Amino acid sequence: MTTGTAPVAPAPAAPLLRLAWRNLWRHRQRTLLLLVVVTYVTFLTIVYWSFVDGYGDSVVESYARYIAAPVRIAADGWYQDPDPENQLGDLAFVEALLRLPGVRAASLRIHFPALLQSAYVTEGVEVVGVDPATEPQVSRIPAKVAEGRWLEGPGEVVLGEDIARRIDARLGERVVVSAGSLAGPQARGLRVVGIARTGVAAVDQAAVVVHLEDARTLTGVPTATTVDLDVARGTEEGTAKRVQALLPAGVTARAVWDMVGPIKADVEANRAFAYILALIVYVFAAVAVASTIFVSVMERTRELGVISALGVPPGRLGALVTLEAFLACSLGWLGGLIIGYSVARLLAAYNILGPLFGAVSAGMPAAGLSEEVYGAVRAAYAGYSGMVVAAAVVFAALVPGRRAARLRPASAMRAE
Amino acid sequence: MEPRRTKALALIAVLFLSAAYVPVAAEGGAGPDRDAAVVLEAVVDNWRGGPFVGTYTFAVERPGRVTEYVMQIVTDGDERSLIRVIAPPREAGQAFLMNGSELWMYNARLGRSLRLPPSGRSGAFLGSDVSYSDLAGRDFETDYTVAFSSTDTTAAEDPATTVVLELIPKPGAPTPYGRVLIGVDATSLTPRWIDYYDQRDQVVKHLALSDYLETGDRRLPRQMVVDDRTRGGYRTVIRLADVQLDAPVPDACFTIQALERGCL
Repeated sequence: MTTGTAPVAPAPAAPLLRLAWRNLWRHRQRTLLLLVVVTYVTFLTIVYWSFVDGYGDSVVESYARYIAAPVRIAADGWYQDPDPENQLGDLAFVEALLRLPGVRAASLRIHFPALLQSAYVTEGVEVVGVDPATEPQVSRIPAKVAEGRWLEGPGEVVLGEDIARRIDARLGERVVVSAGSLAGPQARGLRVVGIARTGVAAVDQAAVVVHLEDARTLTGVPTATTVDLDVARGTEEGTAKRVQALLPAGVTARAVWDMVGPIKADVEANRAFAYILALIVYVFAAVAVASTIFVSVMERTRELGVISALGVPPGRLGALVTLEAFLACSLGWLGGLIIGYSVARLLAAYNILGPLFGAVSAGMPAAGLSEEVYGAVRAAYAGYSGMVVAAAVVFAALVPGRRAARLRPASAMRAE
Repeated sequence: MEPRRTKALALIAVLFLSAAYVPVAAEGGAGPDRDAAVVLEAVVDNWRGGPFVGTYTFAVERPGRVTEYVMQIVTDGDERSLIRVIAPPREAGQAFLMNGSELWMYNARLGRSLRLPPSGRSGAFLGSDVSYSDLAGRDFETDYTVAFSSTDTTAAEDPATTVVLELIPKPGAPTPYGRVLIGVDATSLTPRWIDYYDQRDQVVKHLALSDYLETGDRRLPRQMVVDDRTRGGYRTVIRLADVQLDAPVPDACFTIQALERGCL
């Protein structure tokens, strides 16, 4: 019997891989448990980020399509004080804008504070005068007129569902809009032709949309206060920069992300919190996976002792355990990717998250969050979840792998 | 148009109407009626009472409480008037100037005058059930198309003593009402009651006018009771006292300076 420790030639990797693979399926229950844990962690990571990104995207998208626009052009003074007197001096640049690649449509708007009066109630409101023909290309409000129809001509008004209810104005009835005009106070009786139900609290609670001509009469503004552009999602920033080159001095183009104001800070704070939360979840997930592997090593002490006694050196034994963890985690990760991305795609295609945000939307009308909240689908989620699995494998190498590497064959084989 | 001439024309119109009232109703009375416009002009002349100086007392009744306001009014009996609150002390000093479509308010605490939008004319005056246009101005003539009423409402009235005018808002007029009915004394052409309808044909506000001060060819109502028909227990009773009809009312009374400092 040889008592010395003769140098052992390093075993080739392929047999070790085969051994690790075979070991996985010799303990099906344990392997399946590990697979389920990793699959679940991967799935959770993908759905979590789909939800977090989807929320942020939905806020910006809602703001762009219901409250402001993907890209807005206004006088610098108007951004500081959105009063009709800070109107655009002239609109000669609009034609050139429409020829710019990436700009799909432009809509003129006049924003002004006014009093809205029914036979029963008077309310202070923020009115928007729009061109009914171009507005549907920029805003989703025209498509969300639930009762009646969208504006067709002057003398008409579309109200948000809640404000119509508050002042008790019904379709076909006349309401009075009065405003402090540049030429003195003005008032007009307008017929309610449509009631919008958007699911965006800020719109449903406060929208008063009138024809651009009526807005010009009421405000004395001959041009517009803003020119709002329809551009593809994700191109807002770049288009705003290119548009800026065509604008006269004192007029600025802003992308939606630069207009959301406090909501931007809110979304960014939410994202920062999401990262912290994700980190905690990752650590717990990695510990869960590693502990599953650790328990597996504990249970296999005798078996590992036998393998060690057959001549597998301690380092290779640790590598074997780590490789088994890696293989199981990789399989679980792939499974998690399939399930996670499938669910994320569902969240992106159907408004499943929206109803969950109904109360949030009503509670924070300025957030402009619509009742439509879709999940996001990004390739990065595979990386995020892969990091969790990698962290688990590292844990597995550090703790259970090391334990396996330190096993004494003789005592290990006596273990119960 | 001269008030006397208007009255004469209006009286002729009413005499004609009294004879032909039933046929007018049967024909439906559709479309603007020139004679009705003459009657309306006489009605508004009587309601406004020509140039005068007086004191209004407002009793604003709400469920469980009554608030009283006293205010001085100076008016040219046409489209201009200046109203200054005298009591209660908390509101004293506030003043309101109506000059055609313009409406100004002076806030004594802030020491500032504010211009109010035209629709403010049909808004609540001092939180009462009365609107600015109930107190001054000729909105009935500018914002509505008038005709003799042909609705069932007139059935309750004796056509020999009461003429009912129906006012329909002109397109784009800054009024939230669906129509206004005015019950007019057929002989004197003084307004007896005014019903404001919403656009669902429900009366939302009712004015009852009484206690007329007769001077020459004018009959100025000294009491006006305004009922808010949408809310139970909401009522305002207005009494006009210390009236000096045909008092000299200088143009200077209808300026921003007069709004802030007074004119008499």
